[in-house]
Order: sequence, then structure tokens, then C-alpha cells
Amino acid sequence: MRIFQVGAGSGGIVVLDALARDPRVTHIDLIEPDVYSLHNVYRHLFPESAVGRLKADLAVGWIRERRPDVTVDPFVADIADPLLQDRFEEMADRCDAGVCAVDNEPAKFAFDSLMRNSGKPWTLGEVLSGGIGGWVHRFTPDGPCYGCVASYLQRNVAEEPNRPPPDYSNPDAAIPEARIPASKAAIGAIASLHANLTLDLLAPPSPGGTEAEGLGFSILFTLARVPGVFDDAYRTFRFRIPKSEACLICSSLPPSAAGEDLDAALDQALARLGHD
Amino acid sequence: MGLLDTEFGKRRLLSVEVPAIEKYNEGRDAAFKVALARVGGTLLLTYLLKPCHNPYRLETRLLSSYPTVPPETRVLTPLKHCPHLLEGQTICLWRQGSMRASSRWDPAKFTCIFAIQAAWRWLACYEIWHETGEWPLPEAK
Repeated sequence: MRIFQVGAGSGGIVVLDALARDPRVTHIDLIEPDVYSLHNVYRHLFPESAVGRLKADLAVGWIRERRPDVTVDPFVADIADPLLQDRFEEMADRCDAGVCAVDNEPAKFAFDSLMRNSGKPWTLGEVLSGGIGGWVHRFTPDGPCYGCVASYLQRNVAEEPNRPPPDYSNPDAAIPEARIPASKAAIGAIASLHANLTLDLLAPPSPGGTEAEGLGFSILFTLARVPGVFDDAYRTFRFRIPKSEACLICSSLPPSAAGEDLDAALDQALARLGHD
Repeated sequence: MGLLDTEFGKRRLLSVEVPAIEKYNEGRDAAFKVALARVGGTLLLTYLLKPCHNPYRLETRLLSSYPTVPPETRVLTPLKHCPHLLEGQTICLWRQGSMRASSRWDPAKFTCIFAIQAAWRWLACYEIWHETGEWPLPEAK
């Protein structure tokens, strides 16, 4: 089976390692643009001597040492790069499941778009600031998109409850670090859950299983008690977030035009609204 | 997800943003209509707002990564140095993860017109601050 993964950071490498050890996995397309830095060392698998090398290359070496029979194709690129979308679409089309292990919103939306267009299921892991817990999501082609899920969850979750207010008296000053780093143990816990959820996608439907088993869902796993946020550590909450009919990301757009017609329609709209 | 160079971006513009701008402009005085122009890989909305006593000229830029990344709004009319005003008279409108719905950007729900409405609210706060020295809305949390 073929996996399409974006991200081989401190969480992504845990997912990648677990997936690569599964005998069903035979091929991995990996997208990771970053270089291994000194600040990565205490949360990652690789030693300080690897600083300066591409994370993608390090990940490939790690897998080949353990599963030489698995083909790994690394691609050093940003998943949101519009110039490379054709390449990414090919990877999405030929995979059996997608894995998103990035921590920035544009990359999550870009991966969501690729996977919805390809009609393939995918998973996403998110460690909360400070390692107080994390989210793991399973997305299916007909279910809610990442926009639906993020929009729904933002009503309920404070990821950075103790973040200081910005200093508006000095707006040009350096902005203090907003995210509190999570520990390797916290990242590993959420990433392992992420890997499990992904391996579930590779399994055939269980005999007598319900239709609901094939749907998307989200799991919140708490790792710490945080007053006002989580009452207890080590609790799981499972959500089946509905697809939003009003979502501007995934609600069906009018099939009015395609290709050059789309460009012509856009030029006309710009000319129409170009008054000043 | 380039706004002007991917099918997703173009469809979003044609089916969501452009109709929203046309609806906003409908029946509005010509001086207060939103004008739209392509500037490189971005779209620039220019418009006039008058929340209380004074008119202000603004521009809202939809970056190539819009709608994932929120629009940036800048006041072109000179302002006094005040809270919630960033470099280049860019106004501080969004706080990622904010618990207040109107203080966070939600690409699944908002169009560029929401950014204009947020700028109107910001300018109304600015005029009150100008008179009283107090910003009338609390910090986004």
C-alpha cells in the first residue's frame, strides 16, 4: 500500500516510523521542506550531528535502515506551493491514504484540498501548545473538510490560554514566542495515536461493521489537567463533526466554467469591479 | 492554493468573493464602492469607510495564500499612533485561536467583505479612542 505523507518533524517522524514498520506499507511519498536544526534535536529521533541536513533525507535513511524493501520518494518542497500542485496531485491520486503532520494552517488546507480532489482518506495530528493534549482527525472524501472541522473546533478550544496580549505601545517590537513547546513524550503520544488511526485506514472493512466505521471523526486526547481547559489528564473525547453545508472551502462551487473559461470569467469580473 | 493560479482559487473568487463584493457595492454611493485590482499574485480591494465623522481610505490585500491566510488591511489615510495599529498602518484585526468569533479569521465562513466590516469596526473604535483615550473593545482572547 502506498502512503502520501507531508511533514517529517518531531511528530511526523513518529508517524512515519510506525507506518513504515507495517508490512502492508510498500511505498511512501514524503514531502518535507525543512532542514534539521539544533532546536529540533531534543524532540526528534536524530542526533546533533545531523544538524544541517534535510529532514527528508534523514527520514529516508531512517526507513531504509529498518525496511529496505519499502520505496521512499522524498520531495523537498512546500505542500502549499502553487507551482508544484500537479506533482502533488499525482502523489495524492496514486496513494491509498494520506498523512498530514504539519503545524501550519496553509499546509493543512493545501493537503485537505489535494486529498478531497483525489477522493482518498487521510489523517491529521495536532499537538496542542505546551503538550497539554492533542487532536487526531480522520477525514473521508464525503465527510467534512479541514475547514469544516477547524471552524467547528475553534468555538470550543483555547490552544494558548496563557498567551500574553501583544504590546500595542510598541508594535514594531519583537513578538515573544507564542507557542509553548511540547515535550517529546507528549508529541510521541499524539503521533502514535495518529499512526494508529492511519493504520486503521489501511485495514479492510471489518465483517459486520457499521457504515459509521468508515466515516471521519476527531479524537481529543488530554495529557494534562489544565484549569479552565481540561478537567483531567489522559481522557479521550470523540467527535463526529458534521460537514457544514455553508462551508466556503468544500461546499460545492458552481460548475460554471473551467480552464481558460475560468480565466476569462475572472478577467471580466476584475474589469467590472476595477472602477475607482 | 494560489488564489489566482489554481482552479480552487479562481473558483473561490468567482463563486464566493466576487459575488460578495458585487452585493456589497449594490446600491452603494460610488465613492464608497469596493474597487478590485490584480497586483502581481495578489488582489487589492480599495474602498472608503466612514464609521462616524471622518472618511478613511483603506486597502485590503488578498494574498496568494488567501483564504487560508487572512486578508491584510491597511488604512491609507494618516492616523495617530494608537493601540491595535501595526507597521505601515496595517490594522490588527485577527488573533489565531481567539475565543471571540469576530476576532479570528475563519476561511470556511468569511469572505473578504467580513474583513471590510472588521475594518469598519476597528475605525469606529479608533474614533472613540481618539476622543476618550480608551479603546472600547477588550483585547481578543
